[in-house]
Amino acid sequence: MLRFVSGAVLRLVALMLMASLAGAMLMRIAPGFSSDDQELNSGLSAASIRAVRQAHLADSNIPRFYVQYLASLVRGDLGTSRSLNQPVKELLRERLPVTLWNLAIALAIGWLLGLALAVGAQTLRWRALNFLANGLSGTFISTPAAALALVFLLLRLPPAFAAALLIFPKIYRYTENLLQQSSEMPHVLTARAKGAGPLRVLAWHVAPIALPQLIALVGVSISIGIGVLLPIEVISDVAGIGQLAWQAAQARDLPLLVNLTMIVTFVTVCATLISDGAQRGLTRSAA
Amino acid sequence: MKIVRSTAIVVLVLAAFAILFANHLAPAGYEKQFREIPQAAASAHHLLGTDDLGRDRWARLLFGMRVSLTLAPLAAFFTTVLAGLVGGIAGYCGGWVERFCKLLIDFFLSVPWLFLLITVRAVLPLNISPQASVAVTFTSLGLLGWAASARIICSGAKELMKSEFVWMARAAGFSGFKLIRLHLLPNLRGALFAQFWISIPVFIIAEANLGALGLGVSEPLPSLGSLLRELQDAVMLRPEPWRLLPLAVLIVVISSFQVLLNKQEVRA
Repeated sequence: MLRFVSGAVLRLVALMLMASLAGAMLMRIAPGFSSDDQELNSGLSAASIRAVRQAHLADSNIPRFYVQYLASLVRGDLGTSRSLNQPVKELLRERLPVTLWNLAIALAIGWLLGLALAVGAQTLRWRALNFLANGLSGTFISTPAAALALVFLLLRLPPAFAAALLIFPKIYRYTENLLQQSSEMPHVLTARAKGAGPLRVLAWHVAPIALPQLIALVGVSISIGIGVLLPIEVISDVAGIGQLAWQAAQARDLPLLVNLTMIVTFVTVCATLISDGAQRGLTRSAA
Repeated sequence: MKIVRSTAIVVLVLAAFAILFANHLAPAGYEKQFREIPQAAASAHHLLGTDDLGRDRWARLLFGMRVSLTLAPLAAFFTTVLAGLVGGIAGYCGGWVERFCKLLIDFFLSVPWLFLLITVRAVLPLNISPQASVAVTFTSLGLLGWAASARIICSGAKELMKSEFVWMARAAGFSGFKLIRLHLLPNLRGALFAQFWISIPVFIIAEANLGALGLGVSEPLPSLGSLLRELQDAVMLRPEPWRLLPLAVLIVVISSFQVLLNKQEVRA
């Protein structure tokens, strides 16, 4: 266990180092990085403007810039948004809970719907239910998040529901495949041949095999959820980090955008590592 | 199910026909403005009416399909080549090379695509040409989308490296490029083709999301994504339902890819 945890922490650190390096490079190569609005301030003396330029010249050394950027990150200083003129930390404090709340609702509904349909299709084996579930998942997997958000906006439905419908097809398809594969295993066939009912077979023979793999899907679904929430928040005018990222992209506010990407990466990596750990634990206990 | 698959094939063939003969099927170019009739209703001359700038919507839909449905497979090809290279090298070499490649794969899988794509678009200069914006959008998609495929190729290559025929080939003196060309690549072809096929609808949807947010292909060049921006004028959707056609085309085309995809996955 200790080995897995230390490995996971090392992986997290390595991934975040790579993400911060990519972020620092992007910020450095962005157009207008070396210019400053203050240079246009007629109230500043020539010496002050020279000092401002010198300060930017010091940042032109990429390794040095990266080390400084990393040091400020370690101190918890995420910088200041150029477009909103507010500390990034403050913006995150306002926006992150909104996104996390919508993500939680979307994940809960998406998982419930996906699992219910997959289990229903496997146990009941009704053609109509199969057709409905496949049709729904096929439609929503083919719909861009932005378009679905627009439909939900027109129907005045909560935007988190739109995200749920975009998460559900992945859960449904993966679970259905998993249940199908598990139900074809010899011990499950034997149980069925001995007269065990579909619910008993599912609960006692199929679920223990499928559960660890389903747990691993939690991390992936969080990543999908964050991805679909960005266009949904923009279209539905929800003040979350997706909308903030879009505003930052429109205003070319790279420090804000890169830090947001880093935060979302951190959340995704942590979720994946936790679900991987849970999967390992469950697999071991089942063995 | 056979009917559904046949319908999907027909849809994709029709889409291919539309993008090949867009010049002949459209009454005008995608940027031609009919200034005297902006926001015109659907008519025999303008099948889907005209937009705010007086451009023919039918022409923009056809050329938008051409952009999205030609470049998404190209990006998918690019991504498949990258996935084949990284996954293949990782599986073939093993050891620290594999560990490094897996870390790289984990990194690309962890970073949310859409955030990275809008970051890349934000880095670009404001005066970027429409053609360059198309190239950047689809190249970025290709560069970001390889990781999941690479993981599958890596495990496939690893399995192959343990197989008897590879051991025999190695014992016979095959190594390096010859082993990859004669034994690994032919056996990974199915997986590579499935990954290519899977990537196409994913990239079309990603471009559509970017386009709907105004961060995809720049005006005046149309794409299926940028055409969705017109839907934001929700008040006009009821009197002019034909404005929904780009969305309908998008969903039908992607659904067709998904229907055929299931078959391809099974084959792979």
